[in-house]
Amino acid sequence: MEGEIIMSREQLNLLLEIMEVSFVLDETALYLNIHPNDERALRLHNDAASQYAQLMDMYQARYGLLRNEGISRFPWSYIDDPWPWDVNFNNF
Amino acid sequence: MKNMDEISRNMELARAYVPFQIMNQVFNQKEALRRGTLFPELYKPYTPNCRDENGRRNYYE
Repeated sequence: MEGEIIMSREQLNLLLEIMEVSFVLDETALYLNIHPNDERALRLHNDAASQYAQLMDMYQARYGLLRNEGISRFPWSYIDDPWPWDVNFNNF
Repeated sequence: MKNMDEISRNMELARAYVPFQIMNQVFNQKEALRRGTLFPELYKPYTPNCRDENGRRNYYE
């Protein structure tokens, strides 16, 4: 595919995992807004939140910033390719 | 005959409702993102020419 960004399998898998965990967080957060006393949902959310933090730390340490509030190596890495929407996920 | 505006003031044509969801099983992370929901009870794909258990079409062309 023309213009496709090449990234390593490891980076791709990590990015995909971040997207998956991030989506679970969206879902649990929305659910908890109307079920604040559901302990099982809260555990699910907190597990995903801690997993998300770990994955983001790991990704950003290795490949540069995904979010602009992170700590960057020199030079500023937020603007580096690829952007998440540059990734071709058709191979998954 | 009364006009619709007059009728609408006193009568409710329809009511919408949303039953309270209780979390049961959840999809794993990979499946949740792929299906667009974490909750199996909210997974309602639209399939062409597909009918629900009452024989009604769930897809409008």
